[in-house]
Amino acid sequence: MSTTTHTTTLRARPATTINRHLKGEWTKLRTLPSTWRTAALAGALAIGFTAAVDLAQLTRASMNAQQLQGFDATSASLFGVIIAATLLGSLAVRTVTAEYSTGMIRSTFTAMPGRRMVLGAKAATVAAFVFPIALLVDIAGFALGQHIFAGDHLQVALSHPGVPRAILFGAVAASLVAIIGVGLGALIRHTAGAATTLTLIIVGGVTLGQLLPAGLRQYLPGTAIQAAITVHRSTGLLTPNTAIAVLGAYAAIVLAAALIRVAHRDA
Amino acid sequence: MIEVQHLTKRFGNSVAVDEVSFVVQPGRVTGFLGPNGAGKSTTMRMILGLDTPSSGSVLVNGSSYRELNDPLRSVGALLDAKAIVGGRSAANHLMWLADSNGIDRRRVGEVLDMVGLGDVAGQRVGTFSLGMSQRLGIAAALLGDPDTLIFDEPINGLDPDGILWIRNLMKSLAAEGRTVFLSSHLMSEMAQTADHLLVIAQGRIIADAGTEEFITQNATASVHVRAVQQTELADALTQRGGVVERSPDGGLLVTGLDCLAIGGVACAHDITLFELQASRASLEQAFFELTRDATDYRAGELTGAPQGA
Repeated sequence: MSTTTHTTTLRARPATTINRHLKGEWTKLRTLPSTWRTAALAGALAIGFTAAVDLAQLTRASMNAQQLQGFDATSASLFGVIIAATLLGSLAVRTVTAEYSTGMIRSTFTAMPGRRMVLGAKAATVAAFVFPIALLVDIAGFALGQHIFAGDHLQVALSHPGVPRAILFGAVAASLVAIIGVGLGALIRHTAGAATTLTLIIVGGVTLGQLLPAGLRQYLPGTAIQAAITVHRSTGLLTPNTAIAVLGAYAAIVLAAALIRVAHRDA
Repeated sequence: MIEVQHLTKRFGNSVAVDEVSFVVQPGRVTGFLGPNGAGKSTTMRMILGLDTPSSGSVLVNGSSYRELNDPLRSVGALLDAKAIVGGRSAANHLMWLADSNGIDRRRVGEVLDMVGLGDVAGQRVGTFSLGMSQRLGIAAALLGDPDTLIFDEPINGLDPDGILWIRNLMKSLAAEGRTVFLSSHLMSEMAQTADHLLVIAQGRIIADAGTEEFITQNATASVHVRAVQQTELADALTQRGGVVERSPDGGLLVTGLDCLAIGGVACAHDITLFELQASRASLEQAFFELTRDATDYRAGELTGAPQGA
């Protein structure tokens, strides 16, 4: 032990505390090799699927006039972000559940006793980490998709009205899914349970959601992500702005429930 | 300094910690001794704000743990060394702790060297043995150079060198004026390390005393003696007020008289002694005396008390 000075800790300003929580959580996130593996996998799968599906299915020859009319070259090239959001969402889940399952959450809460602030810092950190990756997936998917569609003269330009918003909203939607993931992780505390729940909410909403009437189905998180990346208005989908607002509401509700829960349970 | 007042923790119908009050003073090693399930870990978790007490209060350095800013700078704790996400390197694990409390990152290397993990700083903690994990946990506790240190069963999994190292570390930390609070169910270790003892059984503090004082009060010292005229000696010692039992090797086990008195008696009766050995009362003896009625795990009688370890 180097020194024996017993200094009185000055009452730190809340801003300092918030900064330190964010810094601590960011260090945690970036020093785990699986974070980068998941990010790389999410990017590769999302872009790969986009390219494969766009190449295989979306050719002029296979579409009738009505389908051509409704064809949204933007959302067709951006749907990969849903895959990325699901994988990165499970990463978000693990930032919480890995700590509960190992017991490291007790180190976290002894280092940072303000549990709500810890959860808030986790959500903010993961959302900020996911955003640029999802944006990259969107941009790459868009470029690749338009390149493929150009063969059939179905491509749209980046400058086309609504396209930049769709690209941006895809990334925002992925960040909101990450926040939902952190919230579910804190509520469920088990990786498998929380990750499965998140996947069901997004992908299951798209498939099982077919059983619901369209009026309800459009409010499912998965359907809302689909709507967020559209340019053409289509029936059964919310407008992109409403879709993002709906996703934001889901993220707020799940995170709020988690914030209430985390403070009252023993760690 | 740790001040615990009327602390109680109930889990459903069972009471894990029952109206416990004590003060852990700076400048000495305080041992928290008790059998498994006695409430040691639960008490420590409440001190650290991890479990919410059912009633009562805990103050660490004068304030509630959850009110501390940058708590690692005033309290360092090791609870469960294996409770750690395995994918990070040792240095990175300490780095997030440092970052979260505004501690200089240079301190990470310092504490790793201090606990002897300098060479494996870049190795994934998932590959660490229990002993290495314990050392990492101790490094984490020392990271913020805190006044108060709390260790739950720190010598688990350590080899003899490691145990000696921990013992000396605890003593030197206390000598620097820090508050050192250490739990263990290993009584021999406590006897050698702790200056002061808090003994807990079934959620209640049953002793709060200096280690020497505790042993003297709760365990009777005995003398082992062998003589040529064994029966005569036994009678003479009984007359002098000693309690005499036959020991398995044929000698006598005398309590209530010390070596000087026994030697005197033998001389007065012209008895030849060929063995006279005082056995120091041990912490084990004292502990068993005290907890005989309070232990959860007596042979043939298993109760469903929760595991607190």
